[in-house]
Amino acid sequence: MNKIETSLDKVRSDIGSFYKFDKHHFIVMNANDLGEKIEIQWFFHDYEDARNVTMFWLQCNDTDLIPSINNSVASAWVAESEIADLLGLDIENAIEGFVLDHDSPIAPLRKKKK
Amino acid sequence: MKQQFEIPVGAQHISLLEPLHFKLTTENETIVDADANLYYVHRGIENACTTKFKYRQVPLVVGRVCGLCSVSHGTAASQVIEKLTKVEIPLRAKYLRMLVIELDRIHSHLLCLAHVAENSGFEALFMQTMRDREYAMELLESVCGNRVQYDYSIVGGVNRDLKPEVAKDIKTKLALLLPKVKDLHEVFENNWTLSLKNKGIGAISKEMVMKLNAVGPLARAAGLAVDVRNETEDLLPWKELGFEMITDIAGDVYARNMVRIRELYVSFRIIDNILNGLPEGPIIEISKALPEGEALIRVEAPRGELMHYARGNKSNILERLKIKAPTFSNVGAMVEIFKGNQYASAAAIIASYDPCLSCTAR
Repeated sequence: MNKIETSLDKVRSDIGSFYKFDKHHFIVMNANDLGEKIEIQWFFHDYEDARNVTMFWLQCNDTDLIPSINNSVASAWVAESEIADLLGLDIENAIEGFVLDHDSPIAPLRKKKK
Repeated sequence: MKQQFEIPVGAQHISLLEPLHFKLTTENETIVDADANLYYVHRGIENACTTKFKYRQVPLVVGRVCGLCSVSHGTAASQVIEKLTKVEIPLRAKYLRMLVIELDRIHSHLLCLAHVAENSGFEALFMQTMRDREYAMELLESVCGNRVQYDYSIVGGVNRDLKPEVAKDIKTKLALLLPKVKDLHEVFENNWTLSLKNKGIGAISKEMVMKLNAVGPLARAAGLAVDVRNETEDLLPWKELGFEMITDIAGDVYARNMVRIRELYVSFRIIDNILNGLPEGPIIEISKALPEGEALIRVEAPRGELMHYARGNKSNILERLKIKAPTFSNVGAMVEIFKGNQYASAAAIIASYDPCLSCTAR
């Protein structure tokens, strides 16, 4: 797996310049609660050789606004809205309540605050 | 502008098996816009796998994500944990995993075809297809012990060996099923009335499939040759057992039917080759290693690419498990496909997506 580190400032341009819809398949967006920080990951594979998986990743604070990549990847809004709900993150243009109802646990995939 | 109506389809609807809600905006009978809500059954399985269960239990827990592709989830979770623990499973276990995955694909594709028939107004064809599907269900029960929740793939291999009499039963029943599939093929391909309901309906282009990152039969029916079985021979040797990429070009309901039916023949061939060349040896590799690092695994479930991502920190509990189901990838395309179609076709179009909300919401 190719791992490419990016940042909140650059992620949109990094993925925008990498992703070609007829060359790459967007697999999914993921987030890991590392305790102090949140790690965000975007996974792609090549259509030509699907074993080539590329992961863009960055670390940020849980209060940071995470840019949407929906301008480049038209289907990214589904994964973004899910991650925003399950980890309680502020992702640009994410649909609030996409996965969880108003009476569901809040951000269930976050580790408990110490 | 013509008057528009918003028509809700679901969450409980006669044409839906699972709870999903489509909001279709129509002008007269034509759908001009669509919106979807697919999350009525979020069960927190990812959370449970990283808080309540040890990593060895995870493949059994994720089998509960879906009753239709339980073995795909179990296999993907087993493989990702085997990658984290650096376990190489015996070749016989690989063959047995593929055997159950292909039997599962047969029953799942037949289920989808049955529902397309039903939602197209062909009740008798629905019943005929479901009757024929019973052969696959009975075989899954013979091999795994269960009709639905197989609990077959476990970390290090599989939990049941294939008895010779069961192997013989598989050959006998598939020999009976094959002509029935050919009959179904003939009806789905050439029945004039059914073709009116399916041809040119719910079409999507290859370009749109790529733009919306769709997967599985929905993508292949539009001409995009994506199938995880084509690329993971290091984990499961599909190609040496007769895998063949099946695609179509029209991208409509008819093409999706054809792709699924033609994939049934590929599954028959793979199963036959597995039974003829099943290697002797153990079915499990026992290891006490603890998962460390991060890994990503993809498996071709009946609906398309299934991804499991896991992260371990050398403890008995995984730090993170992320599941991406095929229907999740197809949400964007599903919404797009409705546009321009007649409202009367919506039910057949939905069935042809073969959506699995249990997988999607997890």
